[in-house]
Amino acid sequence: MAQNPNYNEWVEMATKQMKGKSPDTLTWKSPEGIDVKCLYTAADIEGMDTVGSLPGMAPYTRGPMATMYAGRPWTIRQYAGFSTAKESNAFYRRNLAAGQKGLSVAFDLATHRGYDSDNPRVAGDIGKAGVAIDSIEDMKILFDGIPLDKMSVSMTMNGAVIPILGMWIAAAEESGVKQEQLNGTIQNDILKEYLTRNTYIYPPAPSMRIVSDIMAFASKNMPRYNTISISGYHIMEAGADSVLQTAFTLADGIEYVRAAIASGMDIDTFAPRLSFFFGIGMNFFMDIAMLRAARFLWHRSMQQFNPKNPKSSMLRTHCQTSGWSLTEQDPYNNIIRTTLEAMSATLGGTQSLHTNSYDEAVCLPTDFSARIARNTQIIIQEETHTCKVADPLGGSYYIEYLTNQIVEKAQEILDEIEEIGGMSKAIESGMPKMRIEESAARRQARIDQGSDVIVGVNKYRLENEKLDFDILEVPDSVRIEQIERIKEIKSTRNEAETQACLEAITKAAEGNGNLLEVAVAAAKARATVGEISDAMEKVFGRYVATTQCVSGAYSSEYSEANAESATVIEDFRKRTENFLEKTGRRPRILVTKMGQDGHDRGIKVVASSFADLGFDVDISPMFQTPDEAAKMAIENDVHIVGASSLAAGHKTLVPELIEKLKAQGAGEIGVVAGGVIPPSDYDFLYDNGCKAIFGPGTPITTSAGKVMDLLEAQYIK
Amino acid sequence: MYKDPSYFIQGVLDNNRLTLARTITLIESTLQTHQDIARNVISELLPHTGKAVRLGITGVPGAGKSTFIESFGNMLTGRGYRVAVLAIDPSSTRSGGSILGDKTRMEKLAINDMAFIRPSPSGGSLGGVARKTRETMLLCEAAGFDVIIVETVGVGQSETTVASMVDFFMVLQISGAGDELQGIKKGVLEVADAIVVNKADGDNVTRAKLAKKQYETALHLVTPSSPNWSPPVMTCSALEEIGLEEAWETIKQHKKIMSATGELDEKRKDQAMSWMWFLVKEGLENWFYNNEEIKKVLPTITAAVESGKKAPTRAADELVSVLGSDLLF
Repeated sequence: MAQNPNYNEWVEMATKQMKGKSPDTLTWKSPEGIDVKCLYTAADIEGMDTVGSLPGMAPYTRGPMATMYAGRPWTIRQYAGFSTAKESNAFYRRNLAAGQKGLSVAFDLATHRGYDSDNPRVAGDIGKAGVAIDSIEDMKILFDGIPLDKMSVSMTMNGAVIPILGMWIAAAEESGVKQEQLNGTIQNDILKEYLTRNTYIYPPAPSMRIVSDIMAFASKNMPRYNTISISGYHIMEAGADSVLQTAFTLADGIEYVRAAIASGMDIDTFAPRLSFFFGIGMNFFMDIAMLRAARFLWHRSMQQFNPKNPKSSMLRTHCQTSGWSLTEQDPYNNIIRTTLEAMSATLGGTQSLHTNSYDEAVCLPTDFSARIARNTQIIIQEETHTCKVADPLGGSYYIEYLTNQIVEKAQEILDEIEEIGGMSKAIESGMPKMRIEESAARRQARIDQGSDVIVGVNKYRLENEKLDFDILEVPDSVRIEQIERIKEIKSTRNEAETQACLEAITKAAEGNGNLLEVAVAAAKARATVGEISDAMEKVFGRYVATTQCVSGAYSSEYSEANAESATVIEDFRKRTENFLEKTGRRPRILVTKMGQDGHDRGIKVVASSFADLGFDVDISPMFQTPDEAAKMAIENDVHIVGASSLAAGHKTLVPELIEKLKAQGAGEIGVVAGGVIPPSDYDFLYDNGCKAIFGPGTPITTSAGKVMDLLEAQYIK
Repeated sequence: MYKDPSYFIQGVLDNNRLTLARTITLIESTLQTHQDIARNVISELLPHTGKAVRLGITGVPGAGKSTFIESFGNMLTGRGYRVAVLAIDPSSTRSGGSILGDKTRMEKLAINDMAFIRPSPSGGSLGGVARKTRETMLLCEAAGFDVIIVETVGVGQSETTVASMVDFFMVLQISGAGDELQGIKKGVLEVADAIVVNKADGDNVTRAKLAKKQYETALHLVTPSSPNWSPPVMTCSALEEIGLEEAWETIKQHKKIMSATGELDEKRKDQAMSWMWFLVKEGLENWFYNNEEIKKVLPTITAAVESGKKAPTRAADELVSVLGSDLLF
């Protein structure tokens, strides 16, 4: 089709409105590197192979179902888990009574990483970010009174998949439900853990074998069970733009398909049960297009495996609104953000959705905030009439153009990954991680200089920020209760039988036995999560991530913006330079993550941008105890330690670190904290010696400025 | 900062981790007052140095240096040796800052009580790195560490600088697509006491063996630095902890031979001498640039050379003669 006959006239009008400037000057370069013009016409989408299909039909660009939400709306699936199995169980029952159709379980970090609650390494993590599960007894309490033969249960578990799935199956069997009746999904997407969230236990190769073992076990015994949920959500949350999220998620998917085929499975026996999980951020049209592009690309990528069943190349996905986009400042704005993201996810055609609670940038959701989050979806479904039409934006010049751009750009990355030899190899090479981190550092720089607006954070800030909502806090008694129960189980079980089951796991790990099969037996013999994990660790070892960090991305985004922004960086560099001249060395900061929280986007962005500002930045390994972090701070002789906490461990871990430093004579090393810390805890932390606290959304130049204030006061007399 | 040298001296001799760390900071400081104390501290500690195995490790980014040191260091502490690791990380030339991430790849060694790891930013000049690292090495010896590992990324001249302060210089390589030799500088081959091809694991074993052959051939083309030692090429997998013992045996063997022939003593003496001369040159240079007279005439003379009005030889003569001809002729 030729250009619209009136197009030239439009250009003239636009130029006039722009007071003589060409409308091309309005073109915006998106984070994905897509040039977004101010007008799209039919000519922009002419001849594109991504345009023109129908919903329910290959390549599924317009959605996997023929009638989409007109036939049946997406599933409202809220993810939750609270401290103890008992509390979570009560919460689930309330939700089920309110008409919720499926359960989605969040586990605490100790469980994710395969540690029992009595392990000293995880003292700050028990019951914090989800429910603590140590044994089949906890699992039975968690699902007490919930009919597992009828209820679809989704579990976010990747590291300790073998003990947790084993205990769930065993708990179901002990309540009279057979394996073939079980229905649900386990996340089981280990590859992305190496990229972003770091809640793995073993190295990549044995972890991939575990994935295959679970697929094999389920295809034989649990035909209704989804064995993997390939997750882009965490990739986005780590800072990836929509093209990176699409490419890396699909590349993970392709790698799992290859692993399953290599272990002897037929493509059509497992591919129809693969499901995806995407994250939806504030780039409204982009993420609508992303879901459409992902479906198109998955269909195309799967053709190389010659599936016979059309469902094998049909991408079905769960979505979640972005947790990272939520702000601590003016937090009720988060309800609006979540609503817009939910619109984006549903206009993009998701199959199920989780909407975040407005208070999640500050603490765990309360009953009240969880209700608002759930109602967000119910209102869209039942009040807006947006569900009446399948793919309502199909045919929009702009959406179709974006869809095509994402397909092309993501395909380039997919090709690059193929050249490296697949996603496992690519992860080893560090390529995906570096791309994500670079994207994250650039985004931070855009926010800090105000070119990406966040209302209440870098624009329209409130004069007096006052938090006026209830905060859910997990009491330390949770840990004590868990430890008591472990003691009781260990003293009442048949020890010889338990040990024999654990040995069987180690043997299976050494050889080719199916790990899930032996884990079910061990769960019944009352072996704990930690014991089952250790039995495999003997053979597999525990994986340690290498932390890479990009440099230069933060400052280059600044200097690309304009001369004024570049001065901000230059001025700051003069300040660190001055510190060097006066004291004999540059300001030196250790950034550390203590506890089992693996979200390292924050510390990486801090490390990379502080270095750009002229700091010497030490980075600690992940999962430190306060003792270990103190040793490193002392050995490297840093001026100050920045502790990042996103998983509610700060009240235990930060004061302990300060204590350890003092005990070893290094009280002069200051400690500052950052991350998701409720303002009501600020005084507690200050009283315990913390020098400064930086909440979510603090611009780097602000936090770095405060750190310099502290250091200059202390060292430049 | 503490002013009394005895605080540092006693702390280092007691192997107090905190004081050792602070003494390294003192040595690294760019302030003259700190340097004056540091000189005293080093002089006092000198008699307590010289007993450790000094090991230099270099390799291109991605060769697995940190992973190698993690596995190698833990093996050594397992045998009862105390290990100090000095890692030099490049500073950004634009911001002056640096990212010191070595310990994220040395997770177990970092929390090992028998080990001390200190990453240092390279800062401005290479001379600076050389001085700091050399003296830090002496501190660690005085604190009683048995093996001192100096790690540096293989860029610029840093390898030869590190080679000039250690007993044994190990070059870590990885196998690639058959073009291994392009990635290694001749100057590095000349100072290597061993080449270790890392990541010889999984489907990489064959390629690693091939790379080993290529390095062996290449090494034949350079004259070994000692008549009694031909640098071996080995393969290892730091990840799977294969080949580490062999590497350690090689280092011990090297030390045995070099000690028996007296070359080790010679080497250390030579290193001390060239170090002294390096410092003299550096001192002269500083003296030159800080001379008030020089500061005065330098802009005019350089401008004259730039515009072609004055020959460079003539200009150099004039500049040097400013310092007083009796010094030079």
